[in-house]
Order: sequence, then C-alpha cells, then structure tokens
Amino acid sequence: MEKTEGRAEGRKANQLRKYACTRNPLGRAHGSARWEQGDTVVVAAVYGPRPGTRKGENPEKASIEVVWKPMTGQSGRQEKEYEMTLKRTLQSICLLTVHPNTTTSVVLQVMSDDGSLLPCAINASCAALAFAGIPLKHLAVAIGCGVLENGDVILDTSKAEEKQLKSFAHLVFPNSSKSVDLKESQQKDGQSERGLITSITHGVMSEEDYFNCIERGLAASSRISDFLRTTLQKHTPDYL
Amino acid sequence: MESKKPLRSAFVDDYVVPGDVILDLADMTNQTIKLGAGLRQDCDTIQVTSAGRLRLSKPNKYWVENSQKRYIPSVEDTVLGIVVDTKPDNFLVDIKGPSLAFLPVLSFEGGTRRNIPKFEIGTLIYARVVKANSIMNPELSCMDAIGKAAEFGQLKNGYTFETSTGLARMLLSSPTCPLLEALGKKLSFEIAVGLNGRVWVNAPSPSNVILVSEAIKQSESFNRMQQRSMVEKLLAKLA
Repeated sequence: MEKTEGRAEGRKANQLRKYACTRNPLGRAHGSARWEQGDTVVVAAVYGPRPGTRKGENPEKASIEVVWKPMTGQSGRQEKEYEMTLKRTLQSICLLTVHPNTTTSVVLQVMSDDGSLLPCAINASCAALAFAGIPLKHLAVAIGCGVLENGDVILDTSKAEEKQLKSFAHLVFPNSSKSVDLKESQQKDGQSERGLITSITHGVMSEEDYFNCIERGLAASSRISDFLRTTLQKHTPDYL
Repeated sequence: MESKKPLRSAFVDDYVVPGDVILDLADMTNQTIKLGAGLRQDCDTIQVTSAGRLRLSKPNKYWVENSQKRYIPSVEDTVLGIVVDTKPDNFLVDIKGPSLAFLPVLSFEGGTRRNIPKFEIGTLIYARVVKANSIMNPELSCMDAIGKAAEFGQLKNGYTFETSTGLARMLLSSPTCPLLEALGKKLSFEIAVGLNGRVWVNAPSPSNVILVSEAIKQSESFNRMQQRSMVEKLLAKLA
C-alpha cells in the first residue's frame, strides 16, 4: 500500500524538492535562466523582441516561437507537444500588443530529467522572459502534482514516482502579486480567484482528486512565487 | 480635501515584479498620473509589466527602472546605431530595439537632396530619437532641436562594444560616474555612450582603448564603491 511517508528521501506529500534559479547564464541570449528542481534542470534562453513575424502569424501582435531541445536524441512528437503547450502558456502571460510585428524566440534545453519536466521548463522560460524585460501581465508558476492510489496528492513528482502513479497533473498558476488594498479583495478570496493558466493531465483521476490537486498546487505556488520574486530582486545589478 | 492630494504608491523604490498592482485609481478624481516604462493601466488599477524598481518623479510620474540587453526606444534619447541598409528616403539603422529605426537622409545640418551623406552598411551613427511608439518604426535625427549638428553624425575609427541599458545610463549620469572620472585622470580618450547600450571609445593609443573598454565591460557587476578601486588596480597593472 502506498503511504505518503514512503517517498524517496523522506519527502512529505507537500514538500517540494530543492529549487534554484540562475540569472542569465548565457552571455549571448537577451535573457536566460537555468531552473533546477531537484535533479531536473532546464535552461531557457529568450531572444527578442526581433523585428518581423513569420508567415501566418498575426502582424498586429507579437508572436512567440518556442524550440524545445531534448537531452538526447532528435525532436519528436513529445517535444512538439511541449512546444505547443509552452507557446500557449507564454502567449497568455505576455502582453502581445505592446510590440506588434515582432518575434520573441524561446529556446529550451533539457539538461537532466528527473520528473516534473514541463513545470520546470515553464518556470525557467518565465524567469528568462522576466530577465529579458519582455512585458508580461504577470509571472507564471508551474507545479506538478500526482495522485496516489488512496487519493492523496503529492507535489513535485520525481521520475520514479511518475512511473508508478496512476495519474498526475502539471498545473500553471499566475504568481501571487503585491497589491495596494483594493476595496473588494481580501487575502483568502484573492487566492482562489487567481485562476489556472494551464493544466496538462496524464492518466485517469476523479473530479475530486483533480480539485484537490489544484488546491494543493495553488498553495505551493505561492512559495515558488515568493522565491521567484527574491531571485529577480537578488540579481539586479548594484548600480541601479 | 481628499481628491486634491495626489495618491502616492506604497511601493515607490521597492522592487516590483509583473502583476503587482501599484495604484488603485478608484479613489482618485481629476488627477493626472504619467506612466513611464514598465507600467500599464488595467481598468482601475496600474499594474507592473517588467520586473525592476519602481521610481517616482514628483509630482506624478511613475516608471519601473531595470537594465536589459535590448532597448525600448523613447523620444529624446541619444543612441548609437549601425546602418544596415540605405533607401532613397531613409537610412535603416539598427538600434537594438524591437524594430529597425529610420534616419531620414535630409535630417543632417544643411542637408539637401544634393549633399546626402554616403553611409555604407556598418557605419556607426550617433543620433537622437525623434519619434518612438510601439506601432511604427522609430525615427532618428542627426540634428538637435534647433537644427545644428551638435556632435551627431558618423563616428569614425575607435572601438564599439555593447553593454546593458542600465550600465549605459550609469555612464551618462551626472555628476560623472566614478569609473569615468578615475579613468579620465590617468588616460586620455574620447567616449560616446548610447542609451541603447552601445559604447564607442577612441584614443590615440590602442592600449588606452582596450583599457577603457575592459574597465567598462567589467563594471557590469560592480557597484559605485568598487568601481574606483577596480580602475586603480587596472591602471596599476599597466604602470
């Protein structure tokens, strides 16, 4: 029987692996970030905004193109699916009307994969976009949740866990933002109104399990959101 | 009287990230607020779109200060551009922004159809941004507001390199930044800094050029205090 205490390295159900973010590891890219979650490492590079859009894209908006490079082997269908997911997610957080008729390219390189690859890639590309100064509506924070046999939800699944679970989900939330007191909002209501940007599920899970995942994911996303905020602040140059 | 007092954001001089709401306009009536880079209005709130420090210039101008490799053109900035193409009416100039800038062939002092300057591809130009909005290509000019040349135009010889926009702003700050002051005491050189993150250095001897450019490139990561000691170390190595 699977117990939540039985996770590798004694991790609890709600405990995330150690995460780290490096600012602009790539000198030539206009913005880049290396995001690590445990042993899963993804490097994202952003080039842009560059003049001109590709054929077929709307010239009244900026367009985003995503290239996903796997760790080994050639790009296949799985990579195309990741590219499409990432493109839709990033399109919803970027302000596309600020620089019409430009292209922003995001290139992702998987350095090592130990589960929760898509959330790690989304976090890396969001950080890279912020470092490059691309105008964003808000930041995106991604987290992977898995559902155990007994209905418990575990966060930040590793590869071994993903193989054994009957279903897991990758969820992307907007970040928790600082704001001056708006008349209608209160802290708790504000949280549940934040909404979901992207949700990719694998396997079969019940409605209740899915909503459980969302709740746990939302709570954990505020931790990652705070971490992203301190990382962005920590790396600003001193002369500013 | 509540409506007359300008509402000041609680986050001035704080670090903000995209999505933060810095002002709520529902309380304010009949007041003008000017928004600079990195901010946008969303119904009744002002939201941040780029990560950086929120600044306020009294009485009512807000902007987000950050440092990037790319440049967002804004009017009255002086930039260093590189010619990439020539057309009958304009030179197409790359200023490290989202789109190429146009430099009309007549916007030089005493410019007429008969004495159009011949700029080849790759020429470095020091110019002023005259028109900049998100929809059109930005427009440059090699004249100041009165119509005089005022040091705008082609920069010959020397060495060009790229920096971030924040470093360029620091080099142009007044009073003179400690880096340039310390270098200027010992070496003779001339320098042109574009707010778009391009710097041109020229000096009689190549070693001076290399020293100055290396000192500037390395100060990306130093604060004002450390810059002076870094320059002194560099100069000591030479002597």
